Amino acid sequence: MSREPGTGLSHSLSRLSRKLPGNRPIISGVILLQIVFLMLPTIIVFIVSFQPGDIVRFPPDGFSLSWYAEIPEQDQYISALYRSVVAALFCTLFSIPIGILTAIGLMRYDLRFSNLFQIYFLLPFTVPLVVSGVILMIIFGELGYIGQLWTVGLALTIINIPFMIWSVTSRVNALDPNLENAAKNLGSDELQTFVNVTLPAIMPGVVTGSLIMFVLGLNEFLVSLIITTTNNVTLPVVIYTAIRSNISPLIAAVASIYVLVAFIAVLVSDRLVGLEELLSS
Amino acid sequence: MSIDNNQRLQNLKWRVMDRLIAAKETLPREWYQSQPNWLGYVLIVPGVLLVSFLFVGLLLLAGYSVLTFDPIEFIVYEFTLENWRNFLTTEAYYRIFARTVGMATLITVLAVAMALPYAYLTVRTENAVLRKLLLVCLFVPFFTGVIVRAYGWMIILGQNGLVNTGLGVFGIGPIRLIGTEHGVIIGLLQIMIPFAIIMIAPAIQNIDRSLELAASSLGSNRLETFWYVVLPLAAPGIAGATIVVFTLTSATYAIPALVGGGRVDFISNVIYRALFNMANYPLAATFSISLVVVSSIIVLGIFRSIGTGTLGVTEGGTHE
Repeated sequence: MSREPGTGLSHSLSRLSRKLPGNRPIISGVILLQIVFLMLPTIIVFIVSFQPGDIVRFPPDGFSLSWYAEIPEQDQYISALYRSVVAALFCTLFSIPIGILTAIGLMRYDLRFSNLFQIYFLLPFTVPLVVSGVILMIIFGELGYIGQLWTVGLALTIINIPFMIWSVTSRVNALDPNLENAAKNLGSDELQTFVNVTLPAIMPGVVTGSLIMFVLGLNEFLVSLIITTTNNVTLPVVIYTAIRSNISPLIAAVASIYVLVAFIAVLVSDRLVGLEELLSS
Repeated sequence: MSIDNNQRLQNLKWRVMDRLIAAKETLPREWYQSQPNWLGYVLIVPGVLLVSFLFVGLLLLAGYSVLTFDPIEFIVYEFTLENWRNFLTTEAYYRIFARTVGMATLITVLAVAMALPYAYLTVRTENAVLRKLLLVCLFVPFFTGVIVRAYGWMIILGQNGLVNTGLGVFGIGPIRLIGTEHGVIIGLLQIMIPFAIIMIAPAIQNIDRSLELAASSLGSNRLETFWYVVLPLAAPGIAGATIVVFTLTSATYAIPALVGGGRVDFISNVIYRALFNMANYPLAATFSISLVVVSSIIVLGIFRSIGTGTLGVTEGGTHE
């Protein structure tokens, strides 16, 4: 199986070509179409943002960064971006301890009604987002907290917490309890065992969960639309309001922040845990 | 210098640990040494409290749905079934509800069907480059958010958009896609396919590869193997994907509002208007409860027939 570098490349290329149209033409065609379908809306926003004129047209009438140069002057976008980042950070940091405790509680202890608890922890997914929005608006409204930024962070934590619980749970499952017992057997204190054995072992799950929580928090729209006022409105809601009136390339430039964040998030998760890992948790 | 800092950090860590251990040791010994089972309940308390917002909120909403709406005072705390009567007898509401459920069903079927080959190829391909490409094209849209993608679709499907410009080259069109059901279906599918792939892929990963090889060595072709071996074994993933895609689609707001241009309203759009245009909280609560009831019935139906699938946190068999 030893081969020279050159033949290795051509070998894998010929394998690729056999994989693509020849071998399974229909399946490959469908997948290729899906790739285009999935990527197109994201890419198009990015392309349009480099258009010099103020009318979106195809093919673009040139290349310019002028719309990007205007962003810093747009206070409404900058402050909304800041609020989005703060809310997303809040929900990420808040969900880490809750996710770890819940995952360990559910997995390591023999709870009665554990099936019931599992269904309960799926509530954020089974309750439609619009209903969660109405609920939180009524609760925060009754308590008089509407318009404060932390309510957005708390709302994001509530609706996305299952993602954190999941990714930590899969790590708790993978951790062999014998490792913890070995640590204790060697004289480690219970707390030391937790800090030095358990935590490092579930860390990849926490990292994956945090990444998902942060990016989803940054992107969250519907619940924010319902519970925010002009005081604490987040970037997706501002973009939504803006595109309803016009679709100037300026908004495309602002929206490209999200395209960039998405690419960075994919890159970072690939480096940290691997994209496959993201899929299996 | 850095060694010095490192040393200091280590010292700090030890000191913190010592304090924590000392604090722990003031607790009764058997609490931490044998770790009684009730500790499990204590651990999940923060999570339970967090989710209780939604649980309590659902009860609150059910209460609101039987309160009286008044155009001047908004809410009068008097029992009435008027909202429910209003909802059940108004044909327009009815139609929107039917459209929501119908579209959600259609999108679910299409998204799951399209996600299956994608997820399968992502998991099973031996080509590392192809796999990476598939993963990137899955997660970049997933991380881009609904609003940005809805905006992208508006640019693509609009009057002077990419599609119509392309058709114009051949002298066709322009065709109207914004404000039509077709446009909304396209937009929603693109949002939902990544969710479906993410739910299905782990189930395919759990399928023993040798079962597929056995099927093919016994003479079944690729399609038969996929249909008789992969599909039944991927059932938990399909169940999870169905539940997630259906609930998300039935509660969708942004795509109907933007790509649908207000002409293809879903129930969420009506709830939003009841809240902010009419300030009719009881009616909004009525719609919300109905949506929860309908989607719960469908989700429970899937739970019963295929199980919680990849949604269940015990997936992977951990209960010894």
